[in-house]
Formats: sequence, structure tokens, C-alpha cells
Amino acid sequence: MTEVQNSPAVAPAAAGPSVKTGRRSHLREAATGWLFVLPFAVLLVAFLLLPMAYAFKISLYRSTLIEGEVFALFDNYKQAIDDPLVREGVVRVLIFGLIQTPVMIGIALLAALLIDAATSRFSRFFRLAAFVPYAVPVVIGTLMWGFLYSDSIGPFSALGIDFVSSDTVLASLGNIVTWQWAGYNMIVLYAALQGLPRETYESARIDGATEVQIALRIKTPMIASALVLATLFTIMGTLQFFTEPLILQPLNPGAITQHYTPNVYAYQQAFSFQQYNYSAAISFLLGAVVFIGSYIFLFATRKRSALR
Amino acid sequence: MNIGNFSARKVSRRSVVAAVAATALALTGCTSGGDDKPAEKPAGPVTIKVWAWYPEFQGVVDNFNATHTDIKIEWTNAGTGQDQYTKLQTALKAGKGAPDVAMLELQEIPTFALTKHLVDLGKYGANDVKGDYVEWAWKQVSSGDQVYAIPVDAGPMAMMYREDIFKKYGLTVPKTWDEYKQQAEKLKTASAGKSFITDFGANDGGFMSGLFWQAGAQPYNYDLANPTSIGVNVNSAEAKKVIEYWEGMVNAGLADTTAFHTTDFYNGLGSEKYATYLAAGWGPGYIQANAAKSSGKWKVAPLPQWVAGENKQGDWGGSSFAVTDQAKYPDVAAKVAMELFGAKNTEAWKIGIDKAFLFPTATPVLESDTFKNKQYDFFGGQKVNEVFVPAYNAIGPFSWSPFNSYNFNQLTTNINQAIEKKTSWTAALDTAQANVKTYATQQGFKVQ
Repeated sequence: MTEVQNSPAVAPAAAGPSVKTGRRSHLREAATGWLFVLPFAVLLVAFLLLPMAYAFKISLYRSTLIEGEVFALFDNYKQAIDDPLVREGVVRVLIFGLIQTPVMIGIALLAALLIDAATSRFSRFFRLAAFVPYAVPVVIGTLMWGFLYSDSIGPFSALGIDFVSSDTVLASLGNIVTWQWAGYNMIVLYAALQGLPRETYESARIDGATEVQIALRIKTPMIASALVLATLFTIMGTLQFFTEPLILQPLNPGAITQHYTPNVYAYQQAFSFQQYNYSAAISFLLGAVVFIGSYIFLFATRKRSALR
Repeated sequence: MNIGNFSARKVSRRSVVAAVAATALALTGCTSGGDDKPAEKPAGPVTIKVWAWYPEFQGVVDNFNATHTDIKIEWTNAGTGQDQYTKLQTALKAGKGAPDVAMLELQEIPTFALTKHLVDLGKYGANDVKGDYVEWAWKQVSSGDQVYAIPVDAGPMAMMYREDIFKKYGLTVPKTWDEYKQQAEKLKTASAGKSFITDFGANDGGFMSGLFWQAGAQPYNYDLANPTSIGVNVNSAEAKKVIEYWEGMVNAGLADTTAFHTTDFYNGLGSEKYATYLAAGWGPGYIQANAAKSSGKWKVAPLPQWVAGENKQGDWGGSSFAVTDQAKYPDVAAKVAMELFGAKNTEAWKIGIDKAFLFPTATPVLESDTFKNKQYDFFGGQKVNEVFVPAYNAIGPFSWSPFNSYNFNQLTTNINQAIEKKTSWTAALDTAQANVKTYATQQGFKVQ
């Protein structure tokens, strides 16, 4: 809002002489500002805030098959915190995030640095190729990997590895997520690299820095804020891990259980057991975890990033 | 957004409609009403909305509409199984958007009946067609004179086997589960571990329940006449006998554990990986569609018995037509439910049997010569219903819980995890029992 109000392009009348007209034009400015924000605000309220408020409301009720619906305040939340299945899912996505995030961001950074350093036709092709998986819908991509992992028709079946056993499935899912998102993160980092002043590299080279040193000591620190952003999105994404496990579940329901991640569990509670109230409580708890997790990360990296 | 409807969930649906139409004063006055009295019918044909996912159903609907001038069926395929149930539950709860007639699998009837959204068809003459169905099938859809749905098809279990594999390795068709295991061992040795006797799909609750059913297990004791009380006996001695048997089969490497209905499973049926498939009455159509490569190589034999010479059978799947409380003309909807796949509707069953491969529940249909003598090319010309029909008639009673999604979930989750973690299957069944008991108590049932 403040940006819009202060912008001279929007309201040049703001420089009016008298106090009275100034206030009136200020009001008009505010109205103009609201008008500009309106389409977004309507959508935000209708499709985010209202459903959230509604979900919060139903999370405060309990519904049972025999007694119907009763107000229960935070009973659902207490149950969710004590539920070992919720905890198992949270621990799993945390482990997944701890491994997945550095691996994927590492790959994305390496790829971005490589194509930034080389400006051949090959780099342009590579840039596009690495981005293609992101353009494939998650569901399609996951189904495709499901076939690739198959031990009767998959191309890796000769290796004799069961890709969807309980020991390997988390890594198999990680592979799908990396495949899908590394290219996207690469583009984010590459765009940040393109925005850096080239003279810095020049002077570094004159000072005798090698290309590797430039990449690690000059380029990487200078795109720290983009790295923080990409990492933040990845953390949020892994905590809300949902589509890939849900799609691969039929392949081995013993390994990908119905409480595999908190989101899968919430989905199952709502749509298999009609426990909408409990499901809403789990969703809100997960939302709180994502919020706190993101905040901790931002706080820890506040010196590196411009985001505060 | 259905906020208005949802927030008023405690108030009955009728009250909401009344409140919207008139004033808040109406709220108190409409808790009792003439629910049973059908509304005035319009001049033209009455439109009845039907949700179902039977294959080749369009032909059945067209045939019905062509032979009825007073009724017009509008058919929607609202998804298979759980997909449709989710939509139906939501629409029933919201008070609008549900069809007049909905397809329900037999195991789901108590779940939907408990919500009181199903119309008692007994009031509309359903008990007149009772005689068309064998006792166990009618019990699946009714409680005393209350009728919640009209049975359509069933899934009596039998053993499909690959005659070519049996010949190749010199196997004999087993009559008991002991013999079945012996043949499995023979097959494992002879094929050097390449072929399994079968695949145990622990991801299919209906499949496992069918095997429990055959062994005489009664996981639930539940009657809709007394809806708040339930007996839970998931880990009965009979169920444990079945589970221990299959645990032994899997641990000895005799049976595979690939999940049912997956590509790898279908490929196993089409190749020489599985020598038998423990199938239901709808199996001929299913296997024909998913393992076309193996056409002509299959035969059907009765399910092996626990005690030699006995004739104990189980059911896996099957469905029915129920009428929802959103039907404006419940009497007409009931007529549709009774006639669509009724015992006298030979035209519908011609499609149902020849194209959709349904196994009929109505005795006049399944005892007819056309059904019993039908030869199946996929089974080398065998009259497979000579096996399935006697199996169907020998099935005993079995009751389902009013929370079947949870029941199947506990069964599949715990057994699957025992397979994955190589822990005891019977302990998994004990866990399922404990969880179901806790759940039922939480839901307000008196658990026995």
C-alpha cells in the first residue's frame, strides 16, 4: 500500500499546495490504491482467508459417527500432538528436508554456475533441458517415475533393486523431487548470476583468481539472497510433501503408508474417513510448523540475505 | 462455497431449506414432517439421477428409458469406488447435489445407512423382490424389514489357474489349502523360483476379507437395527488362521506380495509369474481386460478348502443400488433401483453378463441356462459359472462395520507394514483390532 501511495506516477496530485486539498487527494490516493489492490484482495479473501477461517472453525469442533458434531475447543489439536502417526510423518518430512534441501540446492547451484560460466549453444540447450521437468505436471512426472521404478517393465529392473521398498522409497521420492525442482531452482540462481556486475570477475581475474575461486568466493556469496529464497521455498515444499507419495502409494502401500507425511495423513482423515475436523486441526498444526520453520531459517540467515 | 450449509450441519437439512425459504421462526416447527409422502408428480416423465460406474452401463440406461415412458434416467459416472463415495458423502452432508439412486458396494452399505441418508426401500415394496435373492445377499442390504439397497452383482471367490503352467510343472489342482501349499512348493522348486503360486494383494481389504469370510471369521457383529452398538473381533482365531497361513506362504517365498491392481501385478498375470489368481465372480472380465496376453490359458476351479470335503465360500466385492434422502420421488427412485438390474430385466443382464462381466445376484438370472452355460474363450471355452454359481450359493452371512474405510485401512496398513518390516502378521492383526476398538469407542459406539 505505502508503495502505491508514494508513487508519483499513480497520484501526481499529491504535491498539491493546501493542506485541505492535500488531505482530500490523499483520500483519493488511498481509494485509487485500494482499487488497484481490489482484484487481488477479493481473490485473497475469497480463496485463502475465508477458507482458512472456515477450516480453523471446523478444527475446533469434534464430529463422531454416533454423537454428531460438538464444540471441542483444542481437543483435536491435543489429539494431533499426541498422535504417533502425525509425529512419524513430521519426523519423516524433517529428515527428508534435511537431506533433500542441500542436495537439490547444491545441484541447482552447480548447474547454474556452469551454464553461467559457459556461453556456448550447449549451455542454452542445457538450460532449457534442465528446466523441462518443471514444466511437466507433478502428477504426470510422478506417474512416469512410477513406471521407471517398476520391476517388470522399468529400464532399471535388471539392477534388481526394489525402488519402492520401505528402505529405498524415501530416496526414490527424493529423486523425483530433485528431478522436478532442481531445474527450477537453477533458473532462479542463474537469473541472479546474470544480474551480477561482470567487472567484479574481471578484477578478481587480474588479482589472479581461478575460475573455481571466482565461482565459489565471488559469485556464490553475491547471490546469497537468491540462494536463501530458493532454500526457503524448498523447505516449505518438503514440509508439505504430498503429491508424490500419494501418487506412488498404490505401488507399495506398506512402504508409503497413509500417514507417510502429515499432509497425506490429513488428506486421508478428511477424504477416506470423513474426519474433516481432525484433518483441519492437523493442517493448521502443519501450517504452524511450516511458518515457524521458515521463520527460524530466515532469522538464522538474516545477515546473508536481504530478506527480513 | 458451502459455508452456510456446513455451519448448519447440526440442524437438519430440511430445517436449513425452511430457514432459507421462510424465517428463523420456521426452525422449531419443522423437525417432524411428512417425509414418507411422495411429492406430487409432474405431468411428463420423472427424471431420476443415477450414479454408477458399471462398465457398459449406457446400454442398460438406454434400454430402461426406451421401455419406460414415465421415468427418465439421467446417468453420471461420478468415479469408481472411493472417488464416488467421497463425492456422495459430501453431497449428502451438504443437503444437495446427491443423485436419487447411487451405486454402493455391499461393504459400504452400513457406512451410508448409519448417516440416515438412505431411504428405507421396504416402504416402497422392496420386500416383494426379497425372494429373488439368496439369504446372505439379502442380509447384506437389509435389517429385518428395513431395506437399504437392492443387490446387483457379487463376487463369489474361486481359484483361477494357468493350465499351461500347471501342465509344464506337473502340478495338480489343489482341493485344500494344504494341497495348495504343497503345489506352491513344488512350483517353486520346479521353476527355480521364477513362478509363484499366486500374489497376495495385502493392499486390497476386500480380497483379505473374502478369505476371512471363507474361513468363517466374523470381524464385526453389527446390525443397523441397533446402530450404536458393535462387536469387534478383527483378530478372531479364524482370521488368524488365514493370516498365519499366508504369512507362512510369503515368508517361504511361495507367494508374491506385489500390490493388486498395479502394472507389475497385471504383468505377472500375463506372464508366467503367477500360476493361480484367487479371484471373484467379476474376475473373468477383470483378468481379460488386464492380462489379455494370457487368453485361453486360464481355467477356474473352486477355492481350496480349509477342511477337505467341506464347501465353505467367501465373497469379494459386489454392489447394489441405494436411494438417497435427496430423491424427490422416493417411490419412483425405489422402482428404478429394483428394476435397473432386477431379476426380470433380462435385457439389462444380457449387457451386464456379456459385456460388463458382472456376476448377478438375482437367483433367476444366475440360475438361467444362458448364464450357467456361457462359455468363455478366455478360459479355453470353460463354463466358468459352473464353478462360480455353486460358490455363490454356499456363501454364509457376514456383516460389515459402519466405518468400512477405516476397517479396510487398518487391515491393509498393518498387514502391509508387517510384510515390509518382516514382522509378525498375527501381531499386525492384533494391532488392527486394538486400533479399530479405540476408533469405534471414539466415534461413540458401545464396543463389545
